[in-house]
Amino acid sequence: MKRDVFVSISFLMAFLLISYAITVKDVLGMAENPLRPLGGFYLRHAFAPSNLTSHSPEVVTAIVWNYRGFDTLFETFVFFLSIMGALSIFRLTEEQEKEARSLESREPHRHMDLITRATTKLVVIMIVSISASIALHGHLTPGGGFQGGSAMAVAALLLFAAFSKFTLERKGLTLGHVITAYAFGLALILATAIAPVFLYDGRLLQINLLPGETGLLNLDVGEYIAVTFGFLMVFLVLGISEWIFKVILRGEIE
Amino acid sequence: MQELHLIILAIVVSFGFVFSYLAMKEHDLLKALALSSVQSTFFALGFYILAAPDIVLAYLAIAVGAYTALVILAISKTERYEVGE
Repeated sequence: MKRDVFVSISFLMAFLLISYAITVKDVLGMAENPLRPLGGFYLRHAFAPSNLTSHSPEVVTAIVWNYRGFDTLFETFVFFLSIMGALSIFRLTEEQEKEARSLESREPHRHMDLITRATTKLVVIMIVSISASIALHGHLTPGGGFQGGSAMAVAALLLFAAFSKFTLERKGLTLGHVITAYAFGLALILATAIAPVFLYDGRLLQINLLPGETGLLNLDVGEYIAVTFGFLMVFLVLGISEWIFKVILRGEIE
Repeated sequence: MQELHLIILAIVVSFGFVFSYLAMKEHDLLKALALSSVQSTFFALGFYILAAPDIVLAYLAIAVGAYTALVILAISKTERYEVGE
């Protein structure tokens, strides 16, 4: 324990020394040139009204969907690949799914006490509305599809923890439905990315050609749906109890 | 004003630093996870001081919510205590 405190304090001292040297003593020479040329370019061009940006009055969104649009698109693809990886590791055939469902119905029904459940219901409603406002208002205020989607995933997770996986499935959020919704979100993103090429002779992801804020809104909503249901899919797949999986895998070997 | 912001930033990030060290030293994995989410909260405050509210929104939901839940699920499939030096 004494050694821990010693190590922590020495790390802290090193950290404070480095920050003192950079900010006050200016060893890296950042003080005389606070705005880098690239930052200046972005600040001057992000608000350009007609051709350069995606009609977003918010600088971060303008940069994310214009100068870094491909970044965000590929990020969506990476997320897609990792979810497909999870699904293919935990995949079940139809008979195995039936078996898993019959085994799950035999599990003892557990739920938390009344206070937790009532509070969770209230909090989930608040999180859903806030995440929708983050996602739908994302091109005007800080926020966007990914942020809203991850907040929404937390709401699903709270339901998952306070009630159970079966509550979600009874409400219609089965794996099949969730995969369908995820595919719909991805299709919306892809359609918006490709639309300028076919409709307006533009380039891929040149969403400023689309009328008004259509492009931005579509991308925001698509990302929101994709992230929400992508996370939910992983939680649903991971939520199958381990002993059920073991029984099924044993059946596969025999 | 800028100095004040920098000082708050330094304090917040050093707290995060201490908590990440504690999380690494902890042998109970659930406690380590709790410590690491405290560290994430401090880093989120740091992002807020750096005027990046976009990052704060995503970072809080991911690092405190989704990441913690996924690691709890992973821990539930192994053992809770880290043994041996």
